[in-house]
Amino acid sequence: MNDPFMNLKSSMKKSIFKDLSFSNERKSAVKEAIRTNQQSQFDNWNSETIIAILESVQHESKDGYNISIQLFQKNEHTFQKNEGQLYTLLHLLENKEILTSNWINKKKYYSLNSKGKKYLATYKEDISKQKISLEHLIEEASL
Amino acid sequence: MKGLIQLAVRDEDMLDEREQIIDQLMHEYSDDILHLVYTYVKNRSTAEDLTQEIFIKCYEKLNQFNQQATIKTWVYRIASNHCKDYLRSWHYRKIMLSDKIWDYIPSKTKQLEEEIIKNSEEDILTNSVMSLPLKYREVVFLHYYEELSLREISKITTVNINTLKTRLKRAKELLKDKMKEEV
Repeated sequence: MNDPFMNLKSSMKKSIFKDLSFSNERKSAVKEAIRTNQQSQFDNWNSETIIAILESVQHESKDGYNISIQLFQKNEHTFQKNEGQLYTLLHLLENKEILTSNWINKKKYYSLNSKGKKYLATYKEDISKQKISLEHLIEEASL
Repeated sequence: MKGLIQLAVRDEDMLDEREQIIDQLMHEYSDDILHLVYTYVKNRSTAEDLTQEIFIKCYEKLNQFNQQATIKTWVYRIASNHCKDYLRSWHYRKIMLSDKIWDYIPSKTKQLEEEIIKNSEEDILTNSVMSLPLKYREVVFLHYYEELSLREISKITTVNINTLKTRLKRAKELLKDKMKEEV
């Protein structure tokens, strides 16, 4: 007898895999999970905190410790006595491809990815627009 | 965190890109993956749940995909590992196995079911393969059903090609014994 598994594919298709297909409902569930997961991960963080991190590495790459020092200098105390959380967030930002990292001398140096640069630029643009509109309001009010 | 989310939504092509990849992966491979998962866990609804988790995992790990392997072998590898994790899990070993005890308690309906199942040649072959030990079932399924080369299977399972060849040979011997029993 030749290869006993020759007919395996057609046999399985006719028996156990008959009507066994990954349904559209299941596919939608996957997409739904992806969406909610995307949001909830960032929901725990304050946008100012994230922007402060992005700003701290925009000109040069820094390791986690130096980022935390810079955050304190900026009066960003989210991670005070809770430094571990900073690394969680850095990791998340890296996963979302907002930051990239390099290992130099056993330290991980973070810097902005193109996506991160874009976020930062758009964020700043928004802030300046808000400022301008505020100034307009004040001007109009004082007239 | 409203700000960044809004930016992310505005930045549509970036957010969508990964989602689209997953969409496409599901379109192309979801049935194959589901069938693969089924051969590991032998239960339809568990297989569907695990497949769902596998694609979510693919989304999360997408940035770790390096172009060295094809995306197909990468997805299969995630699937295979996810199933093995499941089979090793506490939940499976304690809960699912205690359910399985019922399989060993003979009942009339069970016997009847088996008689119906056993009647065609296709079913005999399928059931024999499904009752092979995992390491043989895995390679047989990937090779003959998913039609993957031994090299690809080696990448998915991280088992040496020569070991895979031996397992295939052994699987054939085991199958012949089983088929004799059935007939």
